[in-house]
Amino acid sequence: MENKNSYYNDTYIPSIISFGRITNLLGVAFAFLPALVLCFVYNIYPPVSAVIAGVVMQVSVSGVFWFVEPISYFPVLGIAGTYMSFLSGNIGNLRLPASVAAQQAAGVEAGTEEGSIISTIGVAVSIIVNVLMLTVGVILGAQILGSIPPVIKGALNNILPALFGAMLAQQFVPNPKIGSVAVVLTSIMFFLMKNGYLSFLPGFPVYAVIIVAVFGTIFIGQKIVAADLAKKKEQ
Amino acid sequence: MNYSDIANSFIMWLACGCGVALVLFQAAVMTIKSMKAGKKMGITDEQINAAISSSAAGSIGPSLAILAGMVALLVSMGGPISWFRLSYIGAVAYELMAAGFAAQAMNVTLGGQDMNATAFACGVWVMTLGSIGWVLFTALATPHMDKFRDVLAGGRKELVPVVAVGAMCGAFSYLTINSAMRFNSQTTAAVAGFLIMAAFTKYNMTANKKWIREWSFCISMFLGMLVSVIF
Repeated sequence: MENKNSYYNDTYIPSIISFGRITNLLGVAFAFLPALVLCFVYNIYPPVSAVIAGVVMQVSVSGVFWFVEPISYFPVLGIAGTYMSFLSGNIGNLRLPASVAAQQAAGVEAGTEEGSIISTIGVAVSIIVNVLMLTVGVILGAQILGSIPPVIKGALNNILPALFGAMLAQQFVPNPKIGSVAVVLTSIMFFLMKNGYLSFLPGFPVYAVIIVAVFGTIFIGQKIVAADLAKKKEQ
Repeated sequence: MNYSDIANSFIMWLACGCGVALVLFQAAVMTIKSMKAGKKMGITDEQINAAISSSAAGSIGPSLAILAGMVALLVSMGGPISWFRLSYIGAVAYELMAAGFAAQAMNVTLGGQDMNATAFACGVWVMTLGSIGWVLFTALATPHMDKFRDVLAGGRKELVPVVAVGAMCGAFSYLTINSAMRFNSQTTAAVAGFLIMAAFTKYNMTANKKWIREWSFCISMFLGMLVSVIF
């Protein structure tokens, strides 16, 4: 690979990696603070067997995603965006769309060096907006939030599907071949899952849908683009 | 002491505040580093401003959806933990599930009359341990993902953006079909969001208007939602 931006590769990326590693490892430690406060300040020790039972149930659902989500979303989020997204959470429903929206608005291509810079800014802005709104929400409290009329609550539940549809269209329209591959692969995988054909897999097999949707599309998409490039060269 | 007093105590706010502060601190430093690198790489202020406004506008909708989901969490786990878990590592669906599993393991109803301090603590532990893998894995493996992506591109630099397009198409078709499959108003929202954005994108492929690049995402999201409520 050619070195287009030596500052990016030689200075920026190493400093992002060392800072990201330290802050995310610190993040692992900080995550335990509330639980430790309950133990050492309030002397509340939940039965270990119950904690293990709860964790086993939870990990059987989400454990695979610890690996599948970072690897699947990395090509879009970039290095800094990946550290930040997985420290802050709410990936698919907030960080990923914010990253894509920022890259689209700045007119940079995802996966390029410029893309990863802009992605960082998009994710950072989404973190600030999210923390601000959550802070307001928690100050308002459950009573006020709970008195939101059901019509509005129902509408809020439909924000995410509309957002996902919009995001898909944004990619689908300029890349109809790759988009079609993604939709067909995903539909087949969901069909197989709903009809129990994936039940041989351990846990809740929706992770298999994501793996095939993302990596199947990447793999076939590469073949399509490589073939198109070869055709252009011949002409 | 009532468990909700403990859950909403000052020291819990403090413990939770550390994590939220870390997220903000990391975001700030990463942004400064990225802006500096961006300047050297020829990214203009105009591009950065466009990225900021588009991401800010686009984050409001999903954050509202998170707030709506926060109610159930607030009632059962109190203010600090809800605030902490939704700005740090977690996500609404995950947290409710984890709290539910913990309550189940303790034989109580989440947020019910029989919920006590021990069950609350169990919930905090399960939320923490069940999600720690995401941060730990990204802390250690992120640099290697860069190389893995180059492998996916077959070592051809011009194909790296195709990896990103493939990943976006795959991820968003999974997320879209996952919610459209319910065949209710969410399906309408997903289809409407898709069609409105498709029209914007198609038009802008020739028109190349800046405001469309910046706002089409936000407009499609809210219009899609509106359509699903009206029909």
